[in-house]
Amino acid sequence: MFKEASIREPLILGNKSYGDITADVVGPIENKAPKGWYIAITISALIALWGIGCILYLIGTGIGTWGLNKTVGWAWDITNFVWWVGIGHAGTLISAVLLLFRQRWRMAINRSAEAMTIFAVIMAAMFPGIHMGRLWLGYFVFPLPNQFGSLWVNFNSPLLWDVFAISTYFSVSLVFWYIGLIPDFATIRDRIKTPVAKKVYGILSFGWSGKAKNWTRFEEVSLVLAGIATPLVFSVHSIVSMDFATSVIPGWHTTIFPPYFVSGAVFSGFAMVQTLMLIMRKTMRLENYVTIKHVEYMNIVIIVTGSIVGVAYITELFMSWYSGVEYESYAFINRFSGPYLWAYWAMMTCNVISPQLFWVKKWRRSLGFTFVMSIIVNIGMWFERFVIIVTSLHRDYVPSSWSMFHPTFVDIGVFIGTIGIFFTLFLLFARFFPVLALNELKSILKVSGEEHKNKH
Amino acid sequence: MEELHGTKEFMDSSAKEFKTELPVEEFVAGAAQADLSSGRRDFLKFLGFSVGAATLAACETPVVRAIPYVIKPEQVTPGMPTYYASTFHDGFDYGSILVKTREGRPIYIKGNKDHGHGSLNARINASVLSLYDSTRLTGPRKGSESTTWASADEAIKKALIDANAASAEVVLLTEPIASPSTLNVIAELKANYPSANISHVPYAPVSFEAMSQAYGTANGTPYLDFKSAKVVVCVAADFMNDFPLSAQYTTAYGSARKPEGKWMSKHFQFESIMSLAGSNADVRRAIKPSEEGLVLASIYNHITGQGSSNATSNITKGAAEALKAVPGESLVICGNNDIHCQNIAVAINEALGNIGNTIQKDKTVQLAVGDGTAFASLVSKMNSGAVDVLMMHGVNPAYDSPMAEEFKTGLGKVTNSFSFSSHADETASLCAYIMPSNHALESWNDHHVVSGHYALSQPCIQPLYDTRQYQGTLLAMSAKGGTYYDFIKSTWAGMAQGDATAFWNNALHNGSVDMGLQAPVVAAPVTVKSATQEVTAAAPTNTSGSVSTSIAAVEKTASSASGIEVVLYTKQGIGTGAQATNPWLQELPDPITKVCWDNYITMSPAQAKEMGFTLYMAQETPASVATVEVNGKKVTLPVVPVPGQKAGTVGIALGYGRGANGEHIGNAAFQTKEYGGYDLDDSGNKKPIGANAYALVAMVNGMASYTLSGATVTGTGEEYAIASTQTHHTIMDRESVLKETVLGTFKNGEQNDYNRPHTLKMHEHHEVVDKPIKEVDLWDPHPVEGIGHWWGLSIDLSSCLGCGACITACHSENNVPVVGKDEVRRSRDMHWLRIDRYFTSDMTKEKGEAEGIGTIDMYSKMEIPSENPSVVHMPMMCQHCNHAPCETVCPVAATTHSSEGLNQMTYNRCIGTRYCANNCPYKVRRFNWFNYKAYAKFSEVNPSQDMMGRMVLNPDVTVRSRGVMEKCSMCVQRIQAGKLDSKIKGIPVADGSIETACSEACPNNCITFGDINDTGSKVHGLRNDKRAYLALEEVGTQPSINYMVKVRNREETLA
Repeated sequence: MFKEASIREPLILGNKSYGDITADVVGPIENKAPKGWYIAITISALIALWGIGCILYLIGTGIGTWGLNKTVGWAWDITNFVWWVGIGHAGTLISAVLLLFRQRWRMAINRSAEAMTIFAVIMAAMFPGIHMGRLWLGYFVFPLPNQFGSLWVNFNSPLLWDVFAISTYFSVSLVFWYIGLIPDFATIRDRIKTPVAKKVYGILSFGWSGKAKNWTRFEEVSLVLAGIATPLVFSVHSIVSMDFATSVIPGWHTTIFPPYFVSGAVFSGFAMVQTLMLIMRKTMRLENYVTIKHVEYMNIVIIVTGSIVGVAYITELFMSWYSGVEYESYAFINRFSGPYLWAYWAMMTCNVISPQLFWVKKWRRSLGFTFVMSIIVNIGMWFERFVIIVTSLHRDYVPSSWSMFHPTFVDIGVFIGTIGIFFTLFLLFARFFPVLALNELKSILKVSGEEHKNKH
Repeated sequence: MEELHGTKEFMDSSAKEFKTELPVEEFVAGAAQADLSSGRRDFLKFLGFSVGAATLAACETPVVRAIPYVIKPEQVTPGMPTYYASTFHDGFDYGSILVKTREGRPIYIKGNKDHGHGSLNARINASVLSLYDSTRLTGPRKGSESTTWASADEAIKKALIDANAASAEVVLLTEPIASPSTLNVIAELKANYPSANISHVPYAPVSFEAMSQAYGTANGTPYLDFKSAKVVVCVAADFMNDFPLSAQYTTAYGSARKPEGKWMSKHFQFESIMSLAGSNADVRRAIKPSEEGLVLASIYNHITGQGSSNATSNITKGAAEALKAVPGESLVICGNNDIHCQNIAVAINEALGNIGNTIQKDKTVQLAVGDGTAFASLVSKMNSGAVDVLMMHGVNPAYDSPMAEEFKTGLGKVTNSFSFSSHADETASLCAYIMPSNHALESWNDHHVVSGHYALSQPCIQPLYDTRQYQGTLLAMSAKGGTYYDFIKSTWAGMAQGDATAFWNNALHNGSVDMGLQAPVVAAPVTVKSATQEVTAAAPTNTSGSVSTSIAAVEKTASSASGIEVVLYTKQGIGTGAQATNPWLQELPDPITKVCWDNYITMSPAQAKEMGFTLYMAQETPASVATVEVNGKKVTLPVVPVPGQKAGTVGIALGYGRGANGEHIGNAAFQTKEYGGYDLDDSGNKKPIGANAYALVAMVNGMASYTLSGATVTGTGEEYAIASTQTHHTIMDRESVLKETVLGTFKNGEQNDYNRPHTLKMHEHHEVVDKPIKEVDLWDPHPVEGIGHWWGLSIDLSSCLGCGACITACHSENNVPVVGKDEVRRSRDMHWLRIDRYFTSDMTKEKGEAEGIGTIDMYSKMEIPSENPSVVHMPMMCQHCNHAPCETVCPVAATTHSSEGLNQMTYNRCIGTRYCANNCPYKVRRFNWFNYKAYAKFSEVNPSQDMMGRMVLNPDVTVRSRGVMEKCSMCVQRIQAGKLDSKIKGIPVADGSIETACSEACPNNCITFGDINDTGSKVHGLRNDKRAYLALEEVGTQPSINYMVKVRNREETLA
């Protein structure tokens, strides 16, 4: 009578009981943090502080502290922005889209993926802010009522669409994530001994009592939010891509950008989830929850989206030739043979060639290989944005203005700094928040009658 | 009831809010203040007032040193500019100017096109900034100590009296003076000290003495009539820049170069470096400097049959034939300072019958002709201790003389040395006394530069510092006394025909007066003449005997030349170096190399490659440094490869390396560091910009020679960052950006042959049709066409010579920030208007296809300019697109379209996303990367950081803050002023009544501004001309600015 097991591998291994799951997830929060956590957070906090220092210098002195120039008006700033937004795609995709498709394997990874989404979107949202020449007037982008003056925002501008797209995405993701956390916070509240923590988790859990009524509402809200979040997954990066697609710059002015950007975003988002989950599974001993099966599923998503991205690259090249427009064709010839060819070929290698290696089953089930690949993919995706932004701008229509972009220490510092901030936030999350959706996980724990019998 | 009856009690009480008085006083202040009459409402009023006052006091920006007019001056209306007609003259450049003053401050100089010689170059219109130089001396100095005018006057008087008593040598060393009154002042001075041996030595760092001597035009060069010259042959003559009267000649030349005209002059250029004139030539041949004489000799041989052919005969054949075809209507100009070359040039012009036609010897141009022999003898006399008193004005021989070292030693031996320099510069700082003269804009003067044309300079502001015009000082030393103003008036009274007052007033109003060549001589003759000058002037210039001597001499020069040859030239911005501290000029890109803030060694790319120097310079790829050694003198500078330069030659610009010993000559004259502050050398001196090449100038036959042979060039292995506004040099065969054709095609062909309109293939009714770009549109058009005004510019690429006068004019008009070398190197120059310079490449799309070269290969070959390329100068500024890509992408609508077709920036609204700049196909938008007016990095270079320099700012134009995008506004402040003016007059805006700064500054009328909707306007006509095209038309931006196809007067292929 191992019917269910013969059809599907169990999603949670190791013959866990409900109590085990609670102990495994809440344990790290209750116990003292391991030494490694302190080391990690110290390093990432230092990097974060350096980044914040660079940002303050940037804001205090001017955008000139970056390496931008009259020809290349955006470079690392918007590259980082798009990169982080892309990373921020996986969380909501995993929790919302897979929820709607009833992919229950998502339950082991959705919490962390969503947390990653939130933090990545925070990092992303920072860049449009700090890249502004006059950050202190940034509120001009909001359609504020008239006491701020009679001017209204320009609804033609994709940057304005960005403002709405990202703020909507961020708020929906945050709410979705938080709703999911409520029952888990309640579980921690019920277990934890220290009065302060008990109070805090009590507030965070919004008075969750675990009644059937609570659970019904929880399910309903989750489903509604999933319904709202799903189109957002596609809209955010489509709109980000329109920053480029609606322009007149050869290499930007491309109609395939929305789907190409969305798949690229999912591609990089899953890679980042892999990077984080593989570390977390090891250090927090979650091997029984985040299994090889999860890794393999995510790698399959990476092959699919990576292939879509590859096709998009080739389509772009084809269209540049087929269009017969000299500027368009030169933009792409310049990409792969001009002064930035190293960036282009780094992108091609990392994004097109490397994910194809996952066709080999052995490799896509190898944790070490997956870890290395996840980092390569994210490097590749950073280069993709760099290639799109910088190589299109640096040689556009009028050759007299052609120039090169050279990053300064502030460019580098701000980018590295956001990685530091991101990891600091994620480490804090791992320490104080339930890293797995423990109450949801209990619903997929297969404790069948047969198994039960075997136990006794 | 009470209300109905209106009783007094009711009326009284109804005015109060409460029936009974509230015991406010008791309650608030107690019984002690019960008798005070302030009620609750008063309390609230006081409260409101004090809060309001406190808020106001806290918010208001403190006003620093703004002094309002107590009594309004008669001619000053705040907000309205006042123009003064005046004249610019510094011994090298000359022009009739109109000085725009606002609230008493001169802020802008434009050409006086109605009267006199109103064509200006960049050096003249940027000179307004040097008025506000805070490093000018603020009073007389004795040595390095301040002193009073009284004691300085006493010292100079005593020196002169002593010299008179001892019959000693007194020398006045000045720039070449063309001022009748100044010459009379000198005569007065001589009269007052009859026993002293007073002499006047005119000194020009870049001198055209040889030309003056060869033509026998004393103190000047003959006037060249470019307007009627059908063929212009220049041998090493950059008459557009490095030449007397260059701006005026540029205008005249341009007027004979209109493709629509009856004829278009043909321009041949033979030269070693790529000069501005050479870049505009129809046929340009690169030769070595030693071959300049040979080229002239072979042209002479082709034309007259005399002499013999030589190595250059085959390259001069075309030019000679063209010359022969138009006798008396051509010009052969030699620009070097070699008497033999000049003699041959004179002989050619004689043979062609040009003298008396296109070359007017009786109409001389008294500019840039010094007296080298007299100066040399002065230096030797100084060294022998024979000079008792030396007075200097407008000269800096300690810096710019080839005999600088001897001069400096000699200066130490002069008993009494006085400088009238405005700065304690290289020479003045060595003098016993500095008695600073006024800036030209604070001074009275008169000029007789072009024969028969008398001009006046008038002060436009009170002297800013405790300075005095040197003529005033000299007058005070003479018996005459009085002011120089009265003196000029009396001089001019002698010229007046009829009413002297009316004559004077008219001349002062117009800035100049044309007296004709028969004008009475009012100036004392210049008595000092070097022996050679007198002899040559007397000698016949056209005898074949002297020509054959000269031919023999130039052949000898050519055969004896060895090694690498050096050409010393002056650049468009810095010129002779007199204005080297002017940041507008330092930041003006060189018309050919586009390099700012440095001089360098120009070299042919082939040779640079052979010597292992860097060929491509950009932000992070610095230039290689090399040392040029010639005649035992060395100059170490970065190497900039320039296509078109003759292999085996190097060019070095003069005028750089000022203040090398830390002289306080100006804030912007030195190298600065990445985060501000001066870059100091090991001895703690500020590092100068560039290196001084005057030391290399050789003296040949008593005259300065700016070409040298026998040089060696050795790389030092070091690198040096060069700041260039353009790092890519070819057009990449982008026909929709730049269109050019040749005269034959233009005259005989259809518009399609040289100006093919862009069309798109569209499917319509099952047919493929070619539709003009304009009809294919996603957007609704802006209601501009045919409604109200539609401002636009037309830019004629045939007329643009690349001089850059428009760039400095735009800088001055629009308060464009100066950003310094490091920022320019980072491609962050702020010029609203730039001139793109493109070299042709050997590779074209046609050629690539014909030869079957791969596309990648073809494009990479296109990046390399030809060995001797043709050059195009293309002014580029905001195109004011009617479908502007920048406007749609701004999230906050900070850049919008006006109903008059302008693309306008609202600085206050801009948040600085830079999206607009990215999306601009023309890349004309400029971002304020830093707070240029306060950030430490720009303290040295940006005049706006200086209390004085700030006074030059145009009050009509906002100074932009950090983080804001800016760009060409088409001088919207002028458009508004022009419209207002017409409104007050009650007439429609007349065509030509409004000019943008660039269109006004252009000496060649290349830029035309006007209302495109006005069917009678010039710009309307030009926009609909057969040559008119819109840059990047197929992008669909619909610019308000159109270009006109460049037409070259040559055959399709160069032989």
